[in-house]
Amino acid sequence: MGRYILRRSLLGVATLLLVMFVLHLLTTFAIQLNGNPALAFFGDKVPTESQLAAVETRFGLDDPCYDQTGNPCLGPFVERLGQYAQGDFGTNLRGREVTDIVATAAPNTLKLFLVVTIVWFVLGMGLGTAAARRRDRSADHGIRLTSVLIDAFPIFVLLLVYRYVFAVPLNGWAEDTFGAGSLPALWFRPSFDDDHPWATLLVPGILLGLAGSAAFIRLVRASQLESYAGDHVRTARSRGLNERHVVTHHVIRNSAVPVVTAVGLTFTEALAGAVVTEGMMNIYGMGGVLWEAVRAADVALILGIVTILAAVTVVVMLVVDIAYAALDPRIRYA
Amino acid sequence: MGRKAAVAATATAVALVLASCSGGGGDDDGTDGGGGGGGSDPDATLHLALSQDVETLLPMDSNVGDNISVLDVVYDGLVRYDPKTTEPYNYVAESVETEDNTVWTIKIKPDLTFQNGEPVDADAFARAWNYAAYGPNAMANNYFFERIAGYDEMQGETDDEGNVTKEPEAETLSGLKVVDPQTLEVTLTGPFAGFATMLGYTGFFPIAQACLDDIEACAVQPIGNGPFQVEKWDQGVNLTAQRWEDYTLEETPEYGAIEWTEYTGEDNWPDFQAGNLDFAVPPPAEQQAAANDPDLQERYVEGPGAALTYLAFPLYKDGPWTDVEFRKAISLAVDRQGIIDALLPGQRVPADSWVVPDVVPGGTGGTCEWCTFDPEAAKAALEKAGGWPEGEKLTIHLGQDATEQELFKAVGDSIQETLGIPYELDATPDYFARRAARDFSGPFRANWFPDYPLNENYLAPVYASGDEKNGNVEFGYYSADFEAAVKAGDEAATLDEAVTQYQEAEKILATDFPTIPLFVAQNTDYYSENVSNVVLDPFSGEPKLRLLEVTNG
Repeated sequence: MGRYILRRSLLGVATLLLVMFVLHLLTTFAIQLNGNPALAFFGDKVPTESQLAAVETRFGLDDPCYDQTGNPCLGPFVERLGQYAQGDFGTNLRGREVTDIVATAAPNTLKLFLVVTIVWFVLGMGLGTAAARRRDRSADHGIRLTSVLIDAFPIFVLLLVYRYVFAVPLNGWAEDTFGAGSLPALWFRPSFDDDHPWATLLVPGILLGLAGSAAFIRLVRASQLESYAGDHVRTARSRGLNERHVVTHHVIRNSAVPVVTAVGLTFTEALAGAVVTEGMMNIYGMGGVLWEAVRAADVALILGIVTILAAVTVVVMLVVDIAYAALDPRIRYA
Repeated sequence: MGRKAAVAATATAVALVLASCSGGGGDDDGTDGGGGGGGSDPDATLHLALSQDVETLLPMDSNVGDNISVLDVVYDGLVRYDPKTTEPYNYVAESVETEDNTVWTIKIKPDLTFQNGEPVDADAFARAWNYAAYGPNAMANNYFFERIAGYDEMQGETDDEGNVTKEPEAETLSGLKVVDPQTLEVTLTGPFAGFATMLGYTGFFPIAQACLDDIEACAVQPIGNGPFQVEKWDQGVNLTAQRWEDYTLEETPEYGAIEWTEYTGEDNWPDFQAGNLDFAVPPPAEQQAAANDPDLQERYVEGPGAALTYLAFPLYKDGPWTDVEFRKAISLAVDRQGIIDALLPGQRVPADSWVVPDVVPGGTGGTCEWCTFDPEAAKAALEKAGGWPEGEKLTIHLGQDATEQELFKAVGDSIQETLGIPYELDATPDYFARRAARDFSGPFRANWFPDYPLNENYLAPVYASGDEKNGNVEFGYYSADFEAAVKAGDEAATLDEAVTQYQEAEKILATDFPTIPLFVAQNTDYYSENVSNVVLDPFSGEPKLRLLEVTNG
């Protein structure tokens, strides 16, 4: 087990370095090809050479390699890695600490993810299990149809409809019924409120979770059906164990392996969904910050945020791999 | 059906919210919007949206609409601008005088202080201006100080690679002299009649010594001298300001606090509908619904904007556009009103002058004779210019803004339809770099947003270069007559005379026709029942916060 974790960790670190390097190359080329973000600082005005140079220095883009198309700018990359190693993630273009930005943004994203994960599990395990148990009956058909319908509504459509059609009337109704500033009124607030993060994150989180739950429902159903048909279940039943015991110990646990794997994969998908959700619901989170950073060609911020996100993803994958191994002893020896 | 239902639902929701608002209000006397007699509630809080692009609240570094609008209530400038005529009047300054338009003596009102108790004196202005003018500080408002003597010595020099070849020689402007605590003497590099007009701009606000000592802290927690004090700024989330009780000057609103919520985009309309914001502009898809809502229409305000969009030509390159008749033909072929009606009704107005009318002194409409849509005259002008070379395409360059691409596609279509000139759009991501490098092979979109309210600002910074051989960098225009007219304005004895002289300069543009005025932005806003006396600032497009009356919702 120890060697397995070590091997996966080293692979994770290598992945992280590769991600950072590719990202560095992409942003560097973007600056070389698209023009300097320092120029955008001046808007419609044409700056003098020295004005431009001063802003480049301020933005940390004064290395001449940024002006040479095709130059991979290894110098600034190595310098940055050294700073990261010392825990210094640098500042964004306007001098705000990246760690400060992350400290404000990350808690909101984490709260959102917690709601999303709970929704996945509740819907995925609940509906998937129910569908598997009532295979080919009307409940099963209904659940499968629902999962297809969910797939048909991407997250931005769900949020758009929610914000523009439902949120305002629901919010008005809740304020009328329960009073302004009451919990139900906050649930239906059309956008995030920093003073009440949990209440205002709940509905967007449920919607984002709902949008990602369809694949889960079908996966849980399929893998449980496989278990139901398995020899070990027939054996358990023939030993006279009651149905509840059979389902919880022999069906659900055995069908958990692919589901846990899917959590890891869907996590990255949720990250993409978070960019949309945070943007539309005005949540100051990692996705929204990243979106703005890319728009502004803010190299230090993009690299800082993506490095942190990549690190989190690598850790989640690692945890998934370990959980996988714990659930299925055969995997460790493979 | 579905759409109607949505509109009905929205209307009901607004009605519900309004009902709950008036139900919970304190001493709401119900005179919102009508005649401005409502007055303000001293406990009321104004709720506004702020773009997340705001990165700093340092006056020397603030030059976008949003932070200018915040700083307008946090700081006081030497002069302020009349909300209607945009003409400057003395505010923190007791007097601004000059005899030759070169040496200016500014007397500052006595006993004014910053919110931390420091005096607002000549030093407070000198330290802010010196910091902004010092090149290596890379302040956004650095270039505003170009006119003050000693500016050049404060800039370093760089080679083509961007390496610094020479450090700045001076750290302070030689043209700034603190005569006594209440008197500041400013020497310009040459006469400029509009200098007093510039002084109300954000970049000219004073800063406290404590601010200079810790610039980074001051950028997020400003020490102002205005009627509001920044209480807390959670960057990217929200910003709150409270009324400063010790404020001594007269222009202060009566409401108690302002809360700005930061938004990633412009999409805050549902929050306005839910009563969380006092001002909002609907997204394009909701505009029709808002326009058809009689209740909302009562709380709609529009005003002229200051941004001018025009078409420029690479006059530095050979091509049909070097002939003024060709440029005329293009201008006459663009159906400005038709394009606006089809794409952005109410958000733009057709431009027919180089100085936008109604927002700056000296701006009048109709100075452009060939800015009307006249297909016959356009064809005649094209013929006179010798036509368009067979088989070639007219390339129109612009940046990558989606709305502008739509707009310029329509401009291109209009030209193609009227004159039969095939065109292509080149939406380039490095527009600014290519424009600076003179890398355009056809006409290109350009935009001008003035820095201070004077017609000169639409003219000299764009068209005057003093470079007889190459013309100005952007499009290679040079006219000795134009430069002489601008200079005459700069040297005029009074501001009024200067404005008239600058109008002469605009007339020269009208004859030379180097660029084609196309569209002028229009500011629009909807406001909640809690606010009244709404006047939009033509510059920021935001409501004038000092004039607003706010009651508790």
